[in-house]
Amino acid sequence: MGELILKNINIRYGGEPVVRDFNLEVRNGEMVSLLGPSGAGKTTVLKAVAGLIRPERGEILIDGYSVQDLPPEKRDAVMVFQKPLLFPFMNVMQNVGFGLRMRGEPVREARQRIQEILALTQLGGLEYRKVHELSGGQQQRVSLARALVLKPAILLLDEPLSNLDANLRQQMRELIQEIQAQTRITTLFVTHDQAEALMISHRVSLLLNGRLRQVGKPRELFYRPADPEVARFFGARNFIQGRVKDGWFQSEFGTFQVPQGFTANGDWLTATIRPEDLRVSPDSQFEIQGEIQKINFEGSATRIWVRCRTTEFVVLTSEADFFPGQNVRIHLPPDKIRIFPPDSKEFEKIEEI
Amino acid sequence: MIGLARKIVAGGVVAAVILPFIPLIMWSFSNRWFYPDLWPRPWGTRAWEYVLGIAGSQITAALGRSLWVAAVTAVMAVVVGTPAGRALGLYDFKGKDLVSVLLTLPVIVPPLCVAMGLHLWFIKLGLAETFGGVVLVHLTFCLPYTVFVMWGVFSNYNLDFEDQARSLGASTLQVMYRVMLPLTFSGIVVAGLFAFLLSWSQYLSTLIIGGGKITTLPILLFALMGSGDRPVAASVSIVFVVPAFLALLLSARHLGRRSITGVR
Repeated sequence: MGELILKNINIRYGGEPVVRDFNLEVRNGEMVSLLGPSGAGKTTVLKAVAGLIRPERGEILIDGYSVQDLPPEKRDAVMVFQKPLLFPFMNVMQNVGFGLRMRGEPVREARQRIQEILALTQLGGLEYRKVHELSGGQQQRVSLARALVLKPAILLLDEPLSNLDANLRQQMRELIQEIQAQTRITTLFVTHDQAEALMISHRVSLLLNGRLRQVGKPRELFYRPADPEVARFFGARNFIQGRVKDGWFQSEFGTFQVPQGFTANGDWLTATIRPEDLRVSPDSQFEIQGEIQKINFEGSATRIWVRCRTTEFVVLTSEADFFPGQNVRIHLPPDKIRIFPPDSKEFEKIEEI
Repeated sequence: MIGLARKIVAGGVVAAVILPFIPLIMWSFSNRWFYPDLWPRPWGTRAWEYVLGIAGSQITAALGRSLWVAAVTAVMAVVVGTPAGRALGLYDFKGKDLVSVLLTLPVIVPPLCVAMGLHLWFIKLGLAETFGGVVLVHLTFCLPYTVFVMWGVFSNYNLDFEDQARSLGASTLQVMYRVMLPLTFSGIVVAGLFAFLLSWSQYLSTLIIGGGKITTLPILLFALMGSGDRPVAASVSIVFVVPAFLALLLSARHLGRRSITGVR
């Protein structure tokens, strides 16, 4: 079993509030990632669950029991740090067996479990290696094995991939995913990499400035961001404002149908469209006229900044034959427009950033 | 080229350690050695016969006492110096600079002043002319060094290791014995060695506080030096140097950069 509930967590660090009113539920067997830019308070939340930081307010429940007053060693939640932190005076086997030894587990059973975990993490045959003889990826796997061998109710991973190079990171990500699927261990995974979070987790929770902004399935966060800030975090750059009238969102770039359930009428709202959904063409087939300001060739795609009246749009296109100063026309496909609900009017705030 | 240069430097270092011993050894194996003779004339083992024979029991007793005082001082210096160094290395607090000045005070103030000043107090406290009193006065000279060494060790210490260990189920005590101690072991050995050697070579403070009752090897050595029998003084000096040299050799593995830089 492994079910984690965080209720109204508030954490201060040196007098400053780092995490505010944080609520999250991680169900048994689920892999949830805690996503956010660096300094958003992700690691702080993880340390609070592990018991290494005491929240100022709020409650942490593991399998329904409050662990508020339990020291880290008594909590059934094990944290894996960003750095492997392998004990240099122990070999691989002793490192992996550290937790079992602390618990006073019988040697024979411990050995068997260590062997199982080493096989699972593809470390078989390295039992007696010294830590400094291992590669970065191997060290990270030992660090993971050291936590997994304890079969904790909750596994807490703090950016375990961020120290690895791109190739190794992909391999390690797949390994973590595989192990999680196999062991069904409840996992809270911290990362600042949105692609990683979307790829690896069942659900993603986005933390910005110490506040939880949205929780949901990866596709939900990506295609239906709760507010402009969330959209911006996932790469949205085009924001337009418009007024709602009789179920239509009217802006200077077109009129779009408002989704059902919107009660707003006469209100100013914000809408967004992803750079890759915008269409651009040198011909006159589209309605909005603009001029290319800047072009960035990114290989598989080209990023184009198009100024249309006072608004600058960012377009991601697979065609590469544009040039700065060119007059083009763009099109906003109505089905790709995301209009934010009235309670998320934070457009001005965004502009300041 | 680099290999040769290295060999020359290494040879020079070894020579600098070994050469001063040669006259000492020669003196100890001489019966008489007067100016302008280049060699002792005649050679002889009179001094060693005396040191190992008639004075043997006296010297063995002094050797044992010296070892015991130095060992107890070193252990206490490490036991006190390690937590102090940890606090100084890991945490920032008001008055940290003041602490470092205060720590160097016993080293800066002439040992005679420290020993004489403490003597009055030790008489009042009944510590004068006792084993404990001598250990305490040695500690005033040894502690600054152990604290400074451990300060260095802990300023490079990564506390995440301890958090990781706790998360893996280690209790506070287990974290101390299974993580902190092994991680800082080399530094602790170096700090202990410093304290041991400093205590081993204390003369003045032992004389003042011990009042001649706690006859450590240096006390005996100075007495023999004063008597003017050079060959005997030389052989006692060798007896005096050997344990210190052995202590150095035993801990050689832990000396060097790694021990003081700690673990990241």
